Parts: sequence; C-alpha cells; structure tokens
Amino acid sequence: MIKDITIGQYFPGKSPIHRMDSRVKLLLDLVYLVMLFTAQSFTGLLVGLFFMVMCYIIADIKLVMILKSVKPILPLMIFTAILNMLFITGEKPLFQWWIISIYPEGIRMSCFMLLRIVSLIVGMSLLTYTTSPIMLTDAIERLMSPLKKIRFPVHELSMMMTIALRFIPTLVEETDKIMSAQKARGAELDSGGFLKRAKSLVPIIIPLFVSAFKRANELATAMECRCYKGGEGRTRMRQLKIAARDIIATLIMLTLFAGIIVLNCFPIIP
Amino acid sequence: MDIIRTENLCYDYVTTDDDGNVTEKNTALINVNLTVPEGQFLAVLGHNGCGKSTLAKHFNAILTPTSGKVFVDGIDTADEDRIFDIRRTVGMVFQNPDNQLVATIVEEDVAFAPENLGVPPKEIRERVDDALKQVDMYEFREHAPHQLSGGQKQRVAIAGIIAMQPRCIVMDEPTAMLDPKGRKEVMRTIKQLNKEHGITVILITHYMEEAAQADRVVVMDKGAIIMDDEPHKVFAREKELRAVGLDVPQVTELCFMLREKGVDISTEIIFEDECAKAISELPLKKKTADITEEKPRDFADKTEETVRLENVTYKYSVGTPFEKTAVDDVSLSINQGEFIGIIGHTGSGKSTLIQHLNGLIKPTSGTVFIDGEDIHSKNVKIRDVRFKVGIVFQYSEHQLFEETVAKDIAYGPKNMGLSDEEIKVRVEEAAESMGITHLLEKSPFELSGGQQRRVALAGVLAMNPETLILDEPAAGLDPKGRNKILGLIKDYREKSGKTIILISHSMEDIVKFAEKVLVMNKGKVFCFDYTDNVFKNTENLVSIGLDVPQITRLSHRLKESGIEIGNDIYTTERAADRLFSLL
Repeated sequence: MIKDITIGQYFPGKSPIHRMDSRVKLLLDLVYLVMLFTAQSFTGLLVGLFFMVMCYIIADIKLVMILKSVKPILPLMIFTAILNMLFITGEKPLFQWWIISIYPEGIRMSCFMLLRIVSLIVGMSLLTYTTSPIMLTDAIERLMSPLKKIRFPVHELSMMMTIALRFIPTLVEETDKIMSAQKARGAELDSGGFLKRAKSLVPIIIPLFVSAFKRANELATAMECRCYKGGEGRTRMRQLKIAARDIIATLIMLTLFAGIIVLNCFPIIP
Repeated sequence: MDIIRTENLCYDYVTTDDDGNVTEKNTALINVNLTVPEGQFLAVLGHNGCGKSTLAKHFNAILTPTSGKVFVDGIDTADEDRIFDIRRTVGMVFQNPDNQLVATIVEEDVAFAPENLGVPPKEIRERVDDALKQVDMYEFREHAPHQLSGGQKQRVAIAGIIAMQPRCIVMDEPTAMLDPKGRKEVMRTIKQLNKEHGITVILITHYMEEAAQADRVVVMDKGAIIMDDEPHKVFAREKELRAVGLDVPQVTELCFMLREKGVDISTEIIFEDECAKAISELPLKKKTADITEEKPRDFADKTEETVRLENVTYKYSVGTPFEKTAVDDVSLSINQGEFIGIIGHTGSGKSTLIQHLNGLIKPTSGTVFIDGEDIHSKNVKIRDVRFKVGIVFQYSEHQLFEETVAKDIAYGPKNMGLSDEEIKVRVEEAAESMGITHLLEKSPFELSGGQQRRVALAGVLAMNPETLILDEPAAGLDPKGRNKILGLIKDYREKSGKTIILISHSMEDIVKFAEKVLVMNKGKVFCFDYTDNVFKNTENLVSIGLDVPQITRLSHRLKESGIEIGNDIYTTERAADRLFSLL
C-alpha cells in the first residue's frame, strides 16, 4: 500500500549510531567523504569501506542494504569504469583491437574509481538509513544557523523542508486517488506518443494543484491558530546534546583519517 | 466569567477589483450577540453557508468584525498587539485532519505551538506528553501522521491545541471527514476535555446526535442566531429545524410520531435511555409486539446477472513485510437493475472490492465477470469495462479539472470516442438528472462543495454506465446536501433502472434505498441478502462493531427493560408502528 512508503529510507533503531547527535553524524559523514578523496591507494579505500561495513553491523542494518543502495548508481559506475579503461594510457598495452587499446594502468584506475564510488554511496546511505528526515533537517538548520547573521533564511528553509516531507506521502496518496478517478472515466495514461501522454496528464495535475493550494491555505490558517510567527523567539522541544558517544565517534573518525594519510605515504598495495 | 462575548457582530466578505473598488459584498454575519461562559460545552448547528465557520474564525482573531466587537477573556480581538494572547486562550481545530499537522512525527507536531510561544524545552516535553495522554495518543508519539487513521490524526490535532494550554477550544466540524469509529473517538475526547479538564468547547457540527451531547445548542441561519437553548428544548422545535435544513435525533422523531398518533409522550427527548424510560412509563397493554414474520423474499423475480465475482482475493504489497489481505475469497453475483448497499467499517475491504469491478485493481487470485466475460481475459479491452461500470469515488469533487462544468462532464464521453452531438446530449441529460443544468457554463471551482459533488457524479453518469458504483456519495455534506444528493440518485435509478451499488457508513441511508445489502467484515462477505433479511438480526451487526442507527439502539435498550418491539428495527416508522400496537 502507498501508506507503507518510507521516505529517505530511514530504518528506526536504537543503536549508538542511531542515537548519535545528528549534527555530529552529518559532519563526520562529510569528513568520511573527504577522506575517500584523500586516499590514494587501494589499501586506504579498503580500510575506509571496512570501517563503514563495521558501522552497518553496529547500526544493525542488513548488509544487503549496501547492495540495494549501490544498485541505482550501477549504470553510472559502469560508464565511469569504461571511460577510465579506454582513456588512461600507460607504457605497454595489455590488449589492442582497432583503435582500442587497454593498459594495465587503465584497469587499475577503473577498479580504484569503482571502489571509491561504492565507498561514497555506502557512507552517504548509512546517514539516511540511521537518521530520520526530521533529524537531518534539524541538523542542517542548526549547522547553518550562523548564516542567520547574514540574513540567510535558515529557519524558513528548514520549515519548508519539514512541510515538504510531511506532505509527500499525503500528496502521493492523493495522486493515486485522482488517477483512479480519471481512469474510471476512461483516461488513458500510459499509451500514445509523448504529446498525447503529456496531454493526458492535465486531468491529473490540475486537480492535484487545486488540492495542494487548498491544503496550503488551510495549513497556513492552522499554523496561525497555533501562534506561528516565524523563527524569532521560537524554542525547540528536542535539544541536541553532544554525548560521550559523539566524542568517541569523532576520535575514531579522526584516527582513521590520520591512518589514511599515513597509508598514502607508505602504501601496502600500491 | 465569560470566555467569549460578541456584541452586535457583523461581517461582510468583500471582493474588490484592482483599483480597490468594491465589486461584491456578501454578508456572512448579522448582529450576532453571543456569550459563552467558561466551562460550557456549546454546539453550533446550521446548514452550510449559514455563517457558523465565519463566526468561529472570529473567536481567535483569524477574522475581525466588519462592525461590532468580539471579546476573548475580556480582550478585544481587534487589538493586534494581543493577538497571540487571544490565540493561546482560544485554540481551533478544523475539519480536515491532514491539513493541520505540520511535522513528520506526532510529538514534534504537538510541540509546534509551545515552540512558537517560546516555552522552555523541558516544559514543552511535559506539555506534549500531557496533551498526548489526554487524547489517548501517547503510544503513537513517534509515529508519522500518514500512518494514522483519520480519527487518530484528528486527536493529534486536538493535542496540538491542548499543548498551548488554552481555556477554550473551537472545533469546526472536526468529525465531518471521519468514519463512525473515528467520530466516536473524537467525541469521547471532546467530552473528556470539557468535563474533566474544564476546557470550554465550542463544537460546530452537522450531526444532531453530537449536538445533543452539548450543554447548550445554538442554531444559525443566514448569518443570524435563530435558536439558543439547551438541547432538549432546541430539538423539541422539530418543524423550525427542518425548515432551515436540519434534522432531529431519531428518538425525538419517534416521540413526535407517537404524539401525532395521540400518545401522551414528551417531545423533549434526545437520548435512547430517556426515550426508553419515557416509553416504559407509558400505560402499555402488553410488553411484546406481534411481529408478523415477513416471508424472506426469494429470488423469483431474478433478472439477468451482470456482475459475478468468483473467489476474488486481493493482497497488498505481496512479498514485503507489509503484506495484507484486503479482500479475502469473495464470491458473489449481482443482477441487472438491483440496488445494492455495501456496509462495513473502514478497512473491511469495501473500497478495494469495488475497484475490482471496473478493473482498476486486478485480483491476486480469482475472476471478475462483467456480463459473463472475464474482464482480465485477453480479448476484453479494460477501457470498455470502465465505460460499462462507472465508479464515483469518495470526495469525487477532487477530480474536477476543466474550465467549465459542461467540459468536465464531457471528459468521460469524449474518452469513449462519441460524436460531438452525442456528447452534447449526454452532458445535458447527465446535468439534468443531477439538477445542475443552470451551472453548465460556470467554472467547477466556483461552486459549493455539494454542487461540485453533483458535477462529479454527472461526469460519470454521462458515460451512461450499466452499473453505477458510488463510494460514500454523501460524505461530509450537511443534512440538506445529503438528502439532496441521495434523492437525486434515487430518482436517477427509478428513471433509468440501472444497477446501483452504494457504499455508505450510514446505515440510515442504506436502508432507505438499497434492496439488497452486502456486509463486509475483515475482507470477507459477512452476509449478502435482501435488506429486510440482513436487518432481521441487528444484534449480529453490532457484534462485528458496526454503527447501527439510534433507533436500533433504542430497540435493544427497550429489550433490556423487557419491552420487545422486535430485533428488526431500523426505521423510525417501524418503531412507531410497533410501539403503537403495544398501547
């Protein structure tokens, strides 16, 4: 059923990784990404990936989920791999045919890039798997709050994100209902050429917009009734606090980063 | 102390053009003088457009008077500096629960108002927990709103208001979009807040049984208050209420019927137990009514079969942890020209079932036959099935999209590939049967909710389907709108002789129209028979948690006190006849 859709792929849990301060988690995830780009050797990347796999185990998220998160990026990965293989040249080609020549350096580079992309995706997925969208929005709002000084509308942006997240399932359900209603009146939504298809969407999109505006109007009134007056003077129920586990996580991450830099200088596998 | 006081309140909706000149003026409120003492439970009745929502919006300064004054706890609502003092004193809950919730997690949403008010975090936590416990939603505090039922969402919305610690809550038709179960939950919450926590409640409603539970009832018509008294006295003025498009509770109606027959019974009766008591005090000659056993009707006058389901099962999200059987091994047959009613509570599978009949949903297993043909076999075009079996969905007005009503009605016939002349005839016929001929050139978006609903219905009628399926066609309308649309459906059916399938939560509506009733329970057919036979045993229906009419509950209550008027009471007329025979 459409109601069962999870947004942002969040898996609720109580592991130390779930309970980490979302600001720290977000920042450490960024550190991890930087680290992947600093790593110059296979060993470096493998250590990083191994670390992430350990995190998945701690967070009690099935390792199958790693494959699932990589799947949508697969075409992009294959494309990058082929490009690297074709265009990186070395001294002695391994294989030559017509204008195509493949060098061992190209293969090495392809594998390296593949590993880097996989590690990237795995790291970013862990963040969304273990952090609810609202915590993430919250983290972004708070990390960006210094920008308020230069009149950047931080609170407004985060309010918009929250409302969007709140209404996505509602509007998905609504779209589904309108589509059923128009199909019952003989609408053909999935046949014909591009123009015909685009035209057949009109009876879906107009009612959806009408309803979205009506919802927006009613929501605005309801928010006014609940004394909403923007970000000024607002307090938050959930206070984010840096706990011991956040400090430990930061220390682990920094040690790892240092290790990778050392590995760059003394590679075990070049 | 009065929490709300209005003095000669008038309000006009004014439309102006670009230069600021007034182009249109609609008077919504005329000289309203209303005083609400603290702690009262006040119900406001009136048909759509009588000004009750406009009045409600004055109570927390969403609107301010055109002339006259409104005082909330002594503060003039025109005083803009005190607007937040007013809004935290008088909270407001609206009709559509979805459009009031802001956050993606229940407790975050409840925290929204205190956060806006700048309450310290620790206190917000306490208020949120308290509020959620008061509406009995504490264990759902970490759920997302879209995972909740309508009644649960509405209770979260109420909690969101309670967290402001208001002294008064105004509710604008909070139960209109809910099923009977959700309505009961919300009403229980409202009464609890009023009785146990002393919060003043102003409830706007279309349900007479809800208004009957209030301390005081105000009736509005054309922007003015026309009645203001305690519920017993108000509902005793039956004729005046009907004249302004309202109803009375069924037991009140019963007392009026008995009085007309010369029985000396009070008409200031609105609850079953009051009525049962009054009846037991009547000089009854005997205690058991003679019930002439009506012969169960057989299927002798059988017409041709049009719909047949064979072992239809439908499962949602097969192969995921969310797998759920919505329709479970349903086999049934419907004949041409029958009027079928479907009842069952939310989640019983009735909406899923009807979508099988025009192929919107393909059964996981089993076969659907329309006019003897398996609709999912290769040689049947599913679109042709949809023109044969028309479905009007719940809140069908949400499907309107064209510039004019006429064009919108023409959408279906156009998809059928009919000629322009044929389409024109179809549109006119459909518009006539729904009584909207005078609206054909208007935009559907400038019509009232009831009119829009009729346009949507006409849009399906214009396809001239052999079977017409209506999912809750009267949901959310006021008594007048309900009667209008149901009456039009009845007329249409009498004129055209088409097969009609009507889904409704309201058993009162079903028994008025349907010849046969299908009762669904947990995805299965609980029973499917002639209406008389289905309602022969009303206690059976109560046992699967269905909401039976008030008059039926009265008959059960009477039985407990030894007065038997039969187990087949579902109309006031029948109850009145049986009771009269006891005298």
